[in-house]
Amino acid sequence: MSKSPEGDTPVAESTSTRSSAVSRYASVRLAHGSGGKLSLELIQDLFVSTFGGNELAELTDAAVVANPGGRVAFCTDSHTVTPTFFPGGDIGRLAVAGTVNDLAVMGAKPTYLTAAFLIEEGYDMDELERVVRSMKATADEAGVAIVAGDTKVLERGKGDGLFINTAGVGFIPDGVDLGPSRIEAGDKILVNGTLGDHGIAVMSRREGLAMGASLESDVAPLNGLIEQVMAVAPNVRFMRDVTRGGLAAVGNEVVLNQAWGLRIFDVAVPIHDIVEEYSEMLGIDPLLAANEGKVLMVVPDDESEAALGAMKAHPLGREAAIIGDIVKKPEGVALVETAYGSRRVLEMPIEEQLPRIC
Amino acid sequence: MSEAATPTFDFDPHIYKDADVVKGLQEKLATLADEIGRPVKLMHICGTHEHEMGRFALRDLIPESVEVLAGPGCPVCVCDNEYINMAIQLSLLDDVIVTSFGDMLAVPGSIPLEGERRGDVRMSLLDARAQGGDVRAVYSAFDAAQIARDNPDKEVVFFSVGFETTVVAVAAMLKRGAPDNLSIIEANYYTPPATHLLPELDGFDIEGFILPGHAVTITGLRVYEHLAEQGIACASGGFEPVDVLASIASLLEQLRDDKAIIDNPYSRLVKYDGNEKARSELHEVFELGPIRWRGIAEIPESGYKLRPEYQKYSAARKFAGRLDQRALAGAEHPKGCRCAEVTLGQIRPDECGVFGKLCTPDAPYGPCMVSHEGTCRAWYLYGMHKEKLNVEVA
Ligand code: SF4
Repeated sequence: MSKSPEGDTPVAESTSTRSSAVSRYASVRLAHGSGGKLSLELIQDLFVSTFGGNELAELTDAAVVANPGGRVAFCTDSHTVTPTFFPGGDIGRLAVAGTVNDLAVMGAKPTYLTAAFLIEEGYDMDELERVVRSMKATADEAGVAIVAGDTKVLERGKGDGLFINTAGVGFIPDGVDLGPSRIEAGDKILVNGTLGDHGIAVMSRREGLAMGASLESDVAPLNGLIEQVMAVAPNVRFMRDVTRGGLAAVGNEVVLNQAWGLRIFDVAVPIHDIVEEYSEMLGIDPLLAANEGKVLMVVPDDESEAALGAMKAHPLGREAAIIGDIVKKPEGVALVETAYGSRRVLEMPIEEQLPRIC
Repeated sequence: MSEAATPTFDFDPHIYKDADVVKGLQEKLATLADEIGRPVKLMHICGTHEHEMGRFALRDLIPESVEVLAGPGCPVCVCDNEYINMAIQLSLLDDVIVTSFGDMLAVPGSIPLEGERRGDVRMSLLDARAQGGDVRAVYSAFDAAQIARDNPDKEVVFFSVGFETTVVAVAAMLKRGAPDNLSIIEANYYTPPATHLLPELDGFDIEGFILPGHAVTITGLRVYEHLAEQGIACASGGFEPVDVLASIASLLEQLRDDKAIIDNPYSRLVKYDGNEKARSELHEVFELGPIRWRGIAEIPESGYKLRPEYQKYSAARKFAGRLDQRALAGAEHPKGCRCAEVTLGQIRPDECGVFGKLCTPDAPYGPCMVSHEGTCRAWYLYGMHKEKLNVEVA
């Protein structure tokens, strides 16, 4: 084994404990982002070989892709998570699923993704490889192609491990038109399963808390489930993926300045037992905890049972439920109705959820 | 013990949220209020009670003639400026790490925040962190001790704020032997002496107290006998909807029967004499002394201070030479903030002129808007200042 001048150690194939050495280096170095030989190596051996596809392999300045027609939905999102690997997922799965879901809730069919990596110098090469493989697996699951990418390496200390930005393009079929303006009093509110799993799973890992039985993040691409629901409930009014800030954030956003109100029945909201227990212990409200594989749908009353059935028939919707409805009054308020018939405002998430004193 | 206060419980914890049991208690309260036949004011003195009142919208279930006010039950809200300023100053020293419960981080002290456009805004530990201070949120005093062990070349300060339930943990940690580079800011409060003060306030008209279910597991109920002796009804209160309503039922029953005792409807956790063992450990490390309740007064025998043999863990002593003593004390509350009156139950949060305007949970102006235990915050988040949320369906 020879040492490079900067002290970074190329790993000889025979001594590597890595699953499959995509790079001669055990960790990412500045030159991997410089545009030179090491950059090319990393792009070819890791990104192109993992993500596959002709558009990427061309290594042109921009990917040229086919246009299947329809209006275009276009979005971008940057991802960072501590820890990078958490129960039920990792930053790679998160980055792909997040962008796929942003497109899918607009009624679009997610088709193309780009991936940009900001990597801190010294980042473990094996870990990077695992993240990239996870992205590929998630993209396959969602049926999208990663067609362009970028890599930058930040000097040690100037970035916190790994950031991934994904942008996505999807196509909205004719006749699909979703938006809060289409919501009417009497509509029903659905979610595709237990809320708060991701937030609590990540927090438990970060804080090193033992959780008894295992709890996993729900991170998953939802386009398949959404397609299945829209097939039987063509008049879905509105969808939003429930992510940071949880149901509380989505509820409060949607209702802002509207001429109707949103009512959640707290006993109808599916919450995992462990999430409930943990939340109670730390004084954290599961309605405010993050999700990465949940969608909130507003569906006309007469299509709500069909939509619920379609959700439940999908593996990502087995615990789906109708959790509330749209009411005439109070206007512009998201409220929670308790099991006792008493009502409160659905609290707006303020800061990151921190445990309380008592 | 009163009959209303003790529906037959088994040990399924869900029973304390059970809708039928709640309904039964709701009816009981309505009957009692009718029997009393006049408006009644009750008070709880625990931030968690206010939080639960909001989360389950319990005021919707209580008869209109019965008002339940929030009293001095938020340790974060009554924590004096002096300690917050001290924590901020210490966090800005190069060799110091300040550890604190998350709740305390955003509470403004009295050091002005330079360059702030919102008005007379004071610095919090979060502002200190933004200015380069090493401030870390912890879950317990033991976490702080661990950080001290992991950073032997640094001084680690634990901002010890809270009532009995937190101070017993601090005592346990110090007794088991804490690292030398750990010290604490002594901002632990003992509530009973503050409740002595309340009946002396002008216009005091509270007829019953819900005693704080967490703290009395340790102090016991005996320490509130002075209230019953003054003719004020008392009942211990747990935190599930059934617990809260049961303690209100107990108070109303006492008022109907014209008596004032210390009832214990939360007897599944609270013993009349509290937890003797925890108390003796606590008093090995701490002794009671005077402490200032922010914006209210200095109250004798209401603060836990380190005993002489533990004073090497006192941050105030350890850093005496390095603190700017003059900058420690300051204006009590930011101008226009009526937290003291809110804390004493003299006004409702929405009677404060800046509630929901200059002062919101995302940009808190006064301490009562910061902590989850704070009355202003609970009112804002759960919409308790709004008119009753009557629903009209399509
Ligand atoms: S609303 Fe804000 S400023 Fe007013 S009393 Fe409450 S915390 Fe203080």
